[in-house]
Amino acid sequence: MKKPFFDRLLVAFSWGCALLLISAVSIIIGFLVVKGYKTINLDLIFADTRPLDGLLLKRQVFGGLFPAIIGTLSLILLAISFAMPVGIASGIYLSEYAPANQKWFFSLMVDILAGIPSIVVGLFGFSITIFLHHFFSNRIFPCLLISALSLAFLVLPYIVKTTQTAMESLPFQVRLTAPALGATRLENIIFVLLPTALSDIVSGLVLAIGRCAEDTAVIMLTGVVATAGIPKSIFSNFEALPFYIYYIASEYSDPSELMKGYGAALILLLICSGLFCIAHWIKNTIDQKQRFSY
Amino acid sequence: MTNKIKIQIRDLWFYYNTNLILEDIHLDIRKNCITCITGPSGQGKSTFLMTLNRLWENIDGAKSQGIINIDFENGFEEITVPGYPLPQLRQKVGMVFQTPNPLPMGIYKNVAFPLKLIGEKNRDSNFEKVKTALKKAFLWEEVKDRLTQDASLLSGGQQQRLCIARTLVLNPQILLLDEPTSSLDETSVEMIEQLLVILKQDCTIIMVSHYMDQIKRIADTTLVLSNRQLSKQ
Repeated sequence: MKKPFFDRLLVAFSWGCALLLISAVSIIIGFLVVKGYKTINLDLIFADTRPLDGLLLKRQVFGGLFPAIIGTLSLILLAISFAMPVGIASGIYLSEYAPANQKWFFSLMVDILAGIPSIVVGLFGFSITIFLHHFFSNRIFPCLLISALSLAFLVLPYIVKTTQTAMESLPFQVRLTAPALGATRLENIIFVLLPTALSDIVSGLVLAIGRCAEDTAVIMLTGVVATAGIPKSIFSNFEALPFYIYYIASEYSDPSELMKGYGAALILLLICSGLFCIAHWIKNTIDQKQRFSY
Repeated sequence: MTNKIKIQIRDLWFYYNTNLILEDIHLDIRKNCITCITGPSGQGKSTFLMTLNRLWENIDGAKSQGIINIDFENGFEEITVPGYPLPQLRQKVGMVFQTPNPLPMGIYKNVAFPLKLIGEKNRDSNFEKVKTALKKAFLWEEVKDRLTQDASLLSGGQQQRLCIARTLVLNPQILLLDEPTSSLDETSVEMIEQLLVILKQDCTIIMVSHYMDQIKRIADTTLVLSNRQLSKQ
């Protein structure tokens, strides 16, 4: 039977939107690869320093992207380590424990937090630094720790919301299975609900990792600098790839410098893809270990 | 079949929010019998089962009042008193749902899950218990070579027998079954009916079913739930 005109129109529109999305992503990635692949070499990463010396931290790398790569990775790991436990625990609380009125209030707060522009979060981090500097220790300055905490604040809503939604969308019977066998509420969450919702929760974490890797506004106000080298501790300044890309794009003096920016963007993309793969690998490993072994 | 009473229900009322579901139920259920509950859909048959292991407490807006006493071989205990230990109650009063619901784990881990909950850590003894439960549920021969396989890959009938095995692994004294054969093919239905007839020697079975021919085949007592009241047929 022939489909009605409106149905066909809707299908065509959906196809068109999907195609548009795929095209946009392909064009962006293609553009970056075409522009950046020529510049990707050891010189871009280590400049004049011998790669092994740079990797073993025997010599400082000046002019290369290595400190920015390390800075970005440290920033992502720190921010996710702060945001993940708090975000997942809050999501679980909202879906499993919170009474209706509390759930409404906390969900509203999380939505508001998700809507705060990153520059405002950066400004908040900066204000906290000034406050701590004045009232606690004059040795506190914008640093990796403050940046990571601010970023954690920024990505918290993604993790809270995906955890809450993933847990709440589990079918009614799945929720009752373990309690019917004598499981307490906590056992039900740990052994059944969380593992069942793990895939969706990991999707939220992947989103959060992506956001941590790309955000510039927050780190600009809270600790990133153009030439800091590899951060010596969480209280040091640091370099980061998104800031390097922004800096090159706004201040480049010749086309070859701009090309380096494209190279940096491609490296950032590769780092994000690598982290996404690691997140999925960890999820699959936990899954296999928890579910199918004796 | 004995005449000994296993469950006494007195003045049982049940509500979902303001909707009255069960009204003033008085009932005695005999030990080692299959008691079948039938009646029109949406009348509260599943809800009635959930009052016997207090699983309704996991549902928002549900409220129950009344007294339920169960004889767990040491005289009657009132399970409706506040503070009655629910994990222990639910280990003695097992429940199987309408749709097979294997946990997101392998076959072995599914059946061993209740043992994990009660802190049984001896691998050899756990393996024997799992094997016995799977044998009781007529499933051992079909899964013995693939115990680590994802349970959701089993057929519907196998999944339902797995769920029964998972409930049986703790040797419950009462088995609640909520339309356990409604989504299964004829062969699986036959197997589960055979299984229940054997199981009633060791436990008291209360089953919700819509199939009158099935009820005729296996029920010792039949109850009809209609207009919020349970009556003997």
